[in-house]
Amino acid sequence: MLEIVRYEAEKRLTGTLALAVGLGALAVFFVAFFPSFADVDMESYAEAFPPAFREAFGIEAIGTIEGFLAVEVYQFLWVLLLGLYVAYLGAGAIATDVERDRMDLLLSLPVSRSRVLGEKFLALAVPILVLNAVVPLAVYGGVIAVGESIDAVDLAMVHLLSIPYLLACAAIGLLLSTLVDRADVAQRAALAAVFALFLVDSISASAENLEWIGGISPTAYYDPSAILVDGSHDLGGAVVLLGATTALVVLASIRFRRADVGA
Amino acid sequence: MAAIEVRELTKTYGEVVGIESLSFSVGKGEVFGFLGPNGAGKTTTIRVLLGLLSPTAGSAEVLGADVTSESDLIEAKRRIGYLPADLGFDEDVTGRRVLDYFASIRGDERRAELLEIFTPPLDREIREYSSGNRQMLGVIQAFMHDPDLVIMDEPTSGLDPLKQERFNEFVRAERDRGTTVFFSSHVLSEVRRVCDRVGILREGELVAAEDVESLVDRGGKRVRVQVGGEGSGLGDVEGATDVRRLGDEHRFAYAGDYGTLLAHLASYDVVDVEIAEPPLEDVFMHYYGGSEDSDGEGNESDAGEESGRAPEPASEPAGGDADA
Repeated sequence: MLEIVRYEAEKRLTGTLALAVGLGALAVFFVAFFPSFADVDMESYAEAFPPAFREAFGIEAIGTIEGFLAVEVYQFLWVLLLGLYVAYLGAGAIATDVERDRMDLLLSLPVSRSRVLGEKFLALAVPILVLNAVVPLAVYGGVIAVGESIDAVDLAMVHLLSIPYLLACAAIGLLLSTLVDRADVAQRAALAAVFALFLVDSISASAENLEWIGGISPTAYYDPSAILVDGSHDLGGAVVLLGATTALVVLASIRFRRADVGA
Repeated sequence: MAAIEVRELTKTYGEVVGIESLSFSVGKGEVFGFLGPNGAGKTTTIRVLLGLLSPTAGSAEVLGADVTSESDLIEAKRRIGYLPADLGFDEDVTGRRVLDYFASIRGDERRAELLEIFTPPLDREIREYSSGNRQMLGVIQAFMHDPDLVIMDEPTSGLDPLKQERFNEFVRAERDRGTTVFFSSHVLSEVRRVCDRVGILREGELVAAEDVESLVDRGGKRVRVQVGGEGSGLGDVEGATDVRRLGDEHRFAYAGDYGTLLAHLASYDVVDVEIAEPPLEDVFMHYYGGSEDSDGEGNESDAGEESGRAPEPASEPAGGDADA
């Protein structure tokens, strides 16, 4: 078992490490900017944003190191960019192999389709785990280096709880990967879907009577600002995300088991 | 139990019929050539046999496993090798990594032995491979777990003639050690050299499944004779068909016995004679409703009609005005 995970993860390893270094450096770069913000009137800076924007990026508490990190690093890099990235990877997981005729050879091996799909999904967890192991170290180091301090538990939780969120984004991509034949279409659809869900959550939060719509977005169940600024850890949200991930992977598996490959 | 058993197999894609009501079986230890032009349904059939496509109607079994039962087919796949027509490998890994990967799932007891015959550059990334090297890597992965049945889709495409010969020799040796080989091709000469039996697929239906020799016999020998003088009545011998004259040369197909033919020819002043087996292309054309003019070679006589007449250009060429 797990030979497919091993092979796929190994293929991604270089890219994953490069991304970890890049994102770590970017996070440190953001943190290094924080002291120069100290002179700025952050209250009015936050006020200057339109309400929807403030909601989307949790801008209220940007004057503190926690609020600053939550907005600049986590809402932006983690929730939005990384969410899009793993959805894109997920969307390529099946469709690219089918498109490039690699799936034929893989399925000529004595492996079930659900195993192929499941292991390919597990392989997506590798970049997610590696990034969440490496980047918090960089952030913590950076915060100390600029003479600030941050609760290590909250920092760990903001990464730990991002894992179910990112898995859910990857699973959205994976489902699209089994629904759409062309890999580039699946990938664009996945980017569009995750971005649209992000917008739905942020906009509905400021629209009266429509808050519930935001509940369909994975971003509703992972809030870096709440974790870092308020120290509240939404474990229930993580459970919802893991449940949704499982459901999406099961749907993808049902779809993939029935599909004609490369027809 | 047959190695492959296909009954009334139909596969349609919406309105398009891939194969229709196809039935055949391939015995254990047999080398079966699956012939047909591109688009006849060869690849569709193979993909159904591997469980990549599900049949619309009918049934198929490989090594006793129903292709619609995933768990049965997985068991069978431990003993099946597959060489697809379009080999999809990850471009940015080495050939060795691919073989290691497949070996980790399916085994590779014969890898070393195969690498003595086929020699792709294992330590280079596959993106650098020539098509011949890709094909060799494909052959190695298809055989390295010592399968009982190997299914190959156009296996010699991309191999140079020398490698092709080596490959044919290899397939014959595989048959001798009891491996069943099923391969599709549109190159008849290659099938002729290695197959025990062939099936010809035409528009999704199998037209013939018989041994190569009887196919060839049925087509008759090809006789070419050059004689001094007119040679009138040269083709008037029992068993001769499709008689024609090209310049000094008389040609016909002959399905009778040699004695009669030689006695008949002895009455002429024979300058040159050649009696050859028919190219399978001719046999093939027979099944595709090929007409009398299916002569595959030396028919430069047809070229005369068109000679000297270049096709009319759609517009005046290079008239000198360059207003662009």
